[in-house]
Amino acid sequence: MPTIALKAISKSYSKDGAKAVSDLDLEVVDGDFMCLLGPSGCGKTTTLRMIAGLENLTEGEITVGDRVVDAAHKGVFVPPEKREMGLVFQSYALWPHLTIEGNTDFGLRLRKVPKAEREERVTRVMKTLGIEQYRDRYPSQLSGGQQQRVALARMLAVNPEVLLLDEPLSNLDARLRLEMRTELKRIHSEFGTTIVFVTHDQWEAMTLATRIAVMNNGNLQQVGTPEDIYDRPANRFVAEFVGSPPINIVELGGGAGGALAEAANAFLDQQGTPRETVGSVGLRPESIRLARDKADLPADALSGSVRLTAILPTGGNWILELGIDGQKLHASTHVAPHWHAEEELFFHVASDAVHRFDPNGHRLPQSDASTTKVRKAG
Amino acid sequence: MTGARQTDPAGAVAESRLNRLNYKIRTAWREPTAIIGILLTIVFAYLIVVPIAALLYDSVEVQFGDERRAGAPEGGLTTYYFSRALFSPVAQDLFWQPLSHTLSISVGAIIISLSVGGVLAWLLGRTDLFARRWFATALIVPYMLPSWTFALAWRTLFKNREVGGQMGWFEAMGFPPPDWLAYGQVPITIILALHYTPFVILLFGNALRRFDSQLEDSARVLGAPPRTVARKIILPLMLPALMSATVLIFAKCLGEFGVSYVLGLPVDYDVLATSLFRSISSRQPGVAAVIAIAIMAIGIISLLIDARLVRESRKFVTVGGKGSMDRKNALGIFRLPATVFAGLIFLISVGLPLLVLTMSTVMRVPGNFALSNFTLDYWIGQDLEFVAFPTGILLTPDLWTAVWNTLTIVGFASVCSGMMGILVGYVVVRSQVKAVSVFLRQVTFFPYLVPGIAFAAAYLSLFAVPRGPIPALYGTSLILILALMADQMPYASRAGISAMMQLGKDPEEAAQVAGAGWFRRMISIVIPIQKGALVAGILLPFISGIRGLSLFVILAVPGTDVLTTFSLRLLDYNYTQAANSVVLIISAIAYFGTLAVQKMTKTNLADGLEG
Ligand SMILES: Nc1ncnc2c1ncn2[C@@H]1O[C@H](COP(=O)(O)OP(=O)(O)OP(=O)(O)O)[C@@H](O)[C@H]1O
Ligand SMILES: [Mg+2]
Repeated sequence: MPTIALKAISKSYSKDGAKAVSDLDLEVVDGDFMCLLGPSGCGKTTTLRMIAGLENLTEGEITVGDRVVDAAHKGVFVPPEKREMGLVFQSYALWPHLTIEGNTDFGLRLRKVPKAEREERVTRVMKTLGIEQYRDRYPSQLSGGQQQRVALARMLAVNPEVLLLDEPLSNLDARLRLEMRTELKRIHSEFGTTIVFVTHDQWEAMTLATRIAVMNNGNLQQVGTPEDIYDRPANRFVAEFVGSPPINIVELGGGAGGALAEAANAFLDQQGTPRETVGSVGLRPESIRLARDKADLPADALSGSVRLTAILPTGGNWILELGIDGQKLHASTHVAPHWHAEEELFFHVASDAVHRFDPNGHRLPQSDASTTKVRKAG
Repeated sequence: MTGARQTDPAGAVAESRLNRLNYKIRTAWREPTAIIGILLTIVFAYLIVVPIAALLYDSVEVQFGDERRAGAPEGGLTTYYFSRALFSPVAQDLFWQPLSHTLSISVGAIIISLSVGGVLAWLLGRTDLFARRWFATALIVPYMLPSWTFALAWRTLFKNREVGGQMGWFEAMGFPPPDWLAYGQVPITIILALHYTPFVILLFGNALRRFDSQLEDSARVLGAPPRTVARKIILPLMLPALMSATVLIFAKCLGEFGVSYVLGLPVDYDVLATSLFRSISSRQPGVAAVIAIAIMAIGIISLLIDARLVRESRKFVTVGGKGSMDRKNALGIFRLPATVFAGLIFLISVGLPLLVLTMSTVMRVPGNFALSNFTLDYWIGQDLEFVAFPTGILLTPDLWTAVWNTLTIVGFASVCSGMMGILVGYVVVRSQVKAVSVFLRQVTFFPYLVPGIAFAAAYLSLFAVPRGPIPALYGTSLILILALMADQMPYASRAGISAMMQLGKDPEEAAQVAGAGWFRRMISIVIPIQKGALVAGILLPFISGIRGLSLFVILAVPGTDVLTTFSLRLLDYNYTQAANSVVLIISAIAYFGTLAVQKMTKTNLADGLEG
């Protein structure tokens, strides 16, 4: 299956208006389940529509395989109907005047697939998605979740090599959403379809994607596997956008002070990192550990004393609110905490779990175990 | 892209620029939308802009035969027609008196219809009137029928010796009505007032519904007596609707032809529309153009004022809101009198006129109610003593020719304008070329500002003679079809635009991604989804086209008679019964047609008529 490459694509809707997407480079390779993740208005839909050909480029080039489908500076434009992609709209966009069957076999009719084969393929797709019993109904007679499956069936029937999905699950209830996620994952592996999936739900992106592209304000922030995104965020935006409860950011440098900053600076000194190169550090809630005894603190960890101000159970998980010198930290754990509120404790974060960002918010390379050891030895 | 630039900077930049242009053109003009947009632009420029331009030009161009009076050769420029129509000794008869008649009729009609309609709107919307629902429909009926239906009924009742032919009922019974009651300002004003009363009921009804009756309540809780509430709360809030109704009725009276023709002509009581008609019949196209321009200018100005007022009134709309409740005032002892009043209005504006017209077509001698006087001869009789009509109207071939013409001409025009409306809507909503979509939106709306009769005059001046490759169309059905289409475009395109807006882009884009090209999407997706809008967009103009008169009266010749002009011709020959029968037929088609469309499209009549 072909690789879709977006090369420095930009889009502005008005002549001299702000760019909805700017200078975006992205490659979606064969078999990818690529999630475009980002806050509302960051240009996800715009990007997807440009891939489909529904929106023209202002700058840049899109290639599918070795075919250029869209390039402003080369004067090339392949219209959407010739791109052979599948697109599921956020609104489903089912055709109200056609039955479910009519909706589903529309693409096959266009491709002049013989009747027998058409029947067979439509029935198979409908069965897969569990909408076969509604084939003679009209879209208005179906529930939201059923409509969504029809929208999916309509695209899958023609077996496109690339499937574009724009927040297709956002209108479903929690249970259906889970079901549909499983469904999508299965389709992805069963049909081998390359999928580009738009969402602003980080949880959805994490569970579904093989790779995630995080966007903000029309700019690509980071592309990588879910682990990359979570464990090695390229910058503070990605770090803060992904994760719940959100990552704790400790501002350093400038006039930033307080016990927390002091603890962080002490940690940096101990690691041999020059203070001025680090603008802030990030501590994921689940990497914050607590201890009653100062003696229990590991040697090379970022640590300090805190007061446990509140314990919030969230069903199988606990969020611990910690106060340190007027600042707040959030920790989380999935083992029932044996502390009680208002207790004075010590916290520590393993050195390889401390995310460090330069003053511009870009990630600094992790101080992994080996370098630490080398330094210690030296 | 940077690669290309690096190899050969100057050449590559130029090439890239060319490619970029190519890309722009390709994406903007990729689909037939753009081509269709251009075609529609040309069509409407020709159907709407050019006729108006021709009319304007006619008013300053020396016409054949006027060379000496204008002091310039034929085709030269002159102010002769303006000075003749506006400043010469005959200007009084040609323009100023018709203008003052038009104004006084309009003012009278506005005052009567506002007061009667205002009271009725309140009774229907806010009180416990008996049979409120029934009245709500019944009182709207006059608006569905051609206005001069009532003029014919009036004439049947009040006609006197001023005009030949059959006697009026009152004269036949021994009470010859005076001229002032039979013809001219009084009857015209009354009839127009009754015709536009439903319009006021609809406009006021909507406005009343929009604002919250809690506003009245809170004023009353604060201790304001009902009269103060009406004066201080209701009236100011209703003011925009009031102004709007005033302006719209005025604009409609301006182009009103039928009523003034039937009731004004016998006593030489001219309004602008009939004066225009006379100038055209007496072959003075230059003067006719000046009068048409005047009508058009007044129409445009008043409707622009209205647009302004509507925009202002939007500020008030927010006042309403969710809490608005449909509370009814109890009329108490006035409940019965109020109901009688509403019933009386119904009787005068619908019941009586239709009854009189119907009776007149089954009575041999007017005003004689003896059973022996009744006959169906005028409808289906044979070997009658008339020279022109040896048979009843239903057996007259001319009627069926007129029916055929009406159906084909109005039908064809409506089908065309309905489809063009959807296309215009499509292009306006989808076109990537902004200028095309703006032009189309505005040009198709323009005929709304121009009274039909002025528009007809414009068509006449354009198509009376061959121009370029286009032969003279006067006397053909084509000119009627074209004029009618242009006249209907404001409604058709408005319907098309709003339908396309509602549809949104998604269903079509979904088909596009699925692989459907433009024509396929049109045929399989857009048109089927818009079927309802298309049917309504064809049928509503069809019904209003059937009862239309002012366009046809200028442009039709006996060979292309439609029902309306046919009945007018019958009236000119004083075949009262025949004329009345034809008008009844038109009324029946218009009324039942409206009901059928309402049923079929599940639209409310009030929505359709307000425009
Ligand atoms: N047709 C349009 N005309 C003008 N601006 C637009 C248009 N469509 C989108 N935009 C702007 O482009 C930016 C990106 O929009 P886009 O729809 O791609 O966001 P998104 O990431 O999909 O957001 P959401 O999660 O809310 O769907 C927004 O600022 C939006 O206002
Ligand atoms: Mg979006």
